[in-house]
Amino acid sequence: MAPYHVMLVHFPIALWTTAALVIVLRTFSDGTLARAADRVLTPLLFFGALTGALAFAVGLLVWPFETAASSPLARNHLLLAGWSLAYWILLWIVRWRGGEQVWQGLWRWIMLGLGVLGVGLQTITGTLGGYLAGNPSMVSEIVRRLGWEVFTTFYLSNWVLATVVISAVVMAVLGMTGARARS
Amino acid sequence: MQTNSGHKQNTWLAVAAILFLAVLGVSWLFHGTGVIHNDVKRNIFIPQELTMPLQVKAAYNGDKMFFRYRWPAKQPSIYHDMMKYGGGQWKRYGDSVPGPQPEGIYEDRVTMLVDDGSVPEFEHYGGYITVSDRMRFFTNEAKGDEVKAHPYLGKKKGQSEVGKHLPETRSDINNWASVIPEEDLAAQRKAGYFLDLWHWRAHRSNPIDKSDDQVIAEARYGDKGKGVFSTNWDGDKKQPKFMFDPAKTGGRVAISWDDLMKRKLGFDDLYYMREDQTKAYDPAHPWKDGDVLPRRVLQPGDGSHADISVQGSARWKDGYWDVTLVRAMDTGNPQDDKIFLHRKLYNVAFAVHRDTMGSRWHYVSLPVTLGLSRHADFRAARFQGDVPKWEQAWTDVKLFYPGQVSWPMLNSTMHAGANKVKQGVPVKFRHSEIQLAHYGVEMEFNNEIRVQWLYTLAAGILLIIGFGIALNVLLPRKEG
Repeated sequence: MAPYHVMLVHFPIALWTTAALVIVLRTFSDGTLARAADRVLTPLLFFGALTGALAFAVGLLVWPFETAASSPLARNHLLLAGWSLAYWILLWIVRWRGGEQVWQGLWRWIMLGLGVLGVGLQTITGTLGGYLAGNPSMVSEIVRRLGWEVFTTFYLSNWVLATVVISAVVMAVLGMTGARARS
Repeated sequence: MQTNSGHKQNTWLAVAAILFLAVLGVSWLFHGTGVIHNDVKRNIFIPQELTMPLQVKAAYNGDKMFFRYRWPAKQPSIYHDMMKYGGGQWKRYGDSVPGPQPEGIYEDRVTMLVDDGSVPEFEHYGGYITVSDRMRFFTNEAKGDEVKAHPYLGKKKGQSEVGKHLPETRSDINNWASVIPEEDLAAQRKAGYFLDLWHWRAHRSNPIDKSDDQVIAEARYGDKGKGVFSTNWDGDKKQPKFMFDPAKTGGRVAISWDDLMKRKLGFDDLYYMREDQTKAYDPAHPWKDGDVLPRRVLQPGDGSHADISVQGSARWKDGYWDVTLVRAMDTGNPQDDKIFLHRKLYNVAFAVHRDTMGSRWHYVSLPVTLGLSRHADFRAARFQGDVPKWEQAWTDVKLFYPGQVSWPMLNSTMHAGANKVKQGVPVKFRHSEIQLAHYGVEMEFNNEIRVQWLYTLAAGILLIIGFGIALNVLLPRKEG
């Protein structure tokens, strides 16, 4: 299934990259072009998530789980791919539900931050995929200089995992508390 | 203008976003911690440096083959396998242990595997093909009793551990005990299915300018003949066989433990026991606590086992070992040695032990081609005369810590490249040395890392969901 996975990943990469460019444009401009581009942002993100999910599913069929789960590079690719997909789905939902309002006030910068992070995630995911396909790139060197040796599995110790889980719950509670205060 | 409610909304939003970023930052800073640690009970010790350089040169004159090796080491480790007297007994120090020997009594070594094309997988995978499952000092190593009970390896060949061997000497590479019939092993050896192992040791037996000459087939053996060292221990009497003869050592009968611990003994001192310096052990001698006798006796050896000598003096100086070995190109022992021929190509792989570490705690190279006046990764230069002038440049080789990666694992579903191995794709086509070193370390903690990785995947998605909930419930109401 590897060739089909390689073929399919071009779709979410292209769609999400285009979406990120639209987000950057719309963050810094209220002009006609930026508004026009923003009108296709939700479909871009939707189809990005759809094709991303398809590519992810086909990617899971490339190797048996035992194989993927025993290779540091494959583990990292799977981890980053899972996070990228979840992350871009989040962006799609936010833009879809928030409409034009996501370009107001602080939200505009939140959208920019989300877009930049999303591109970072998909870039690392793609780089790791390139390694697995036998085409390493220099992006891994940048990641290495930032503190992660991509030949080692990215995993968290138990106290960091606990921090992540607690923070996830706290963020959800914060949001709901804020929403309740609004209503 | 924003309302008061809008300001509050922004505050909640900013707090959630900052928390999200903070958790990402913490995750980035502290990833990869909490799992990998030294655990000698499981035979796990991770060297601080995962790679190291080695420089090599080769030369031949039609009669003799010379290899020169140069590598960095913080200090020369030339002590090995000693017996210390105390409380009326001799106690051994310097046996192989996981990681560095605690007293610093373990010798430096350089080894080289040589093949002439008769072991096809070696050209692509080097020493990996010699590493079986349940190897000595692996976490799941086979127990000595299991090996000793094996009808061929244990009872006939006297093996007590699973050491290096070649894959086709087993009917099932996943089972170290599945040795093929003896007549087939003999036929393999005759057909050249073995690796020649040059094995220089700083204690056994560099002081007498000799190197061990070994062979890897169904196990690792010394070549035929008498080896270059023997064991100075009488198991029945539980005492050394020999002591220093003071008439030949300037009046000394033993080494001082304090001198060893303070690393006072250098190349020109008495830190080894040479056969011609000994006399029979005398239990009536007034031995003092702290007296030390080497547990190995160095001897010239003979036959195929003693084919390799040290050229000049192998010494450590200014942070580097410089070792030159020499052997006849044609030893006359084609079932023990790979015979070197002018214009022929060979495959070689190197390894270095340093920092008082032994056994599998070595740095190894990927295989390189050696050409005798042929284009190759590593070219041996032909010269006239008795001794090479070494005018050619060094060939740089990167060595790496291999961890617990076995040939059965590389051919199993645990290895994403198993099908490439079956296709014969060389390891260096897909992996660098540093990559292999990291993989080797991770394989020592594979189960633990896999669990932690799955938790990390789930926790990351949970974090995105938590942040997503916050964003969605705080979304501004749509206009109109």
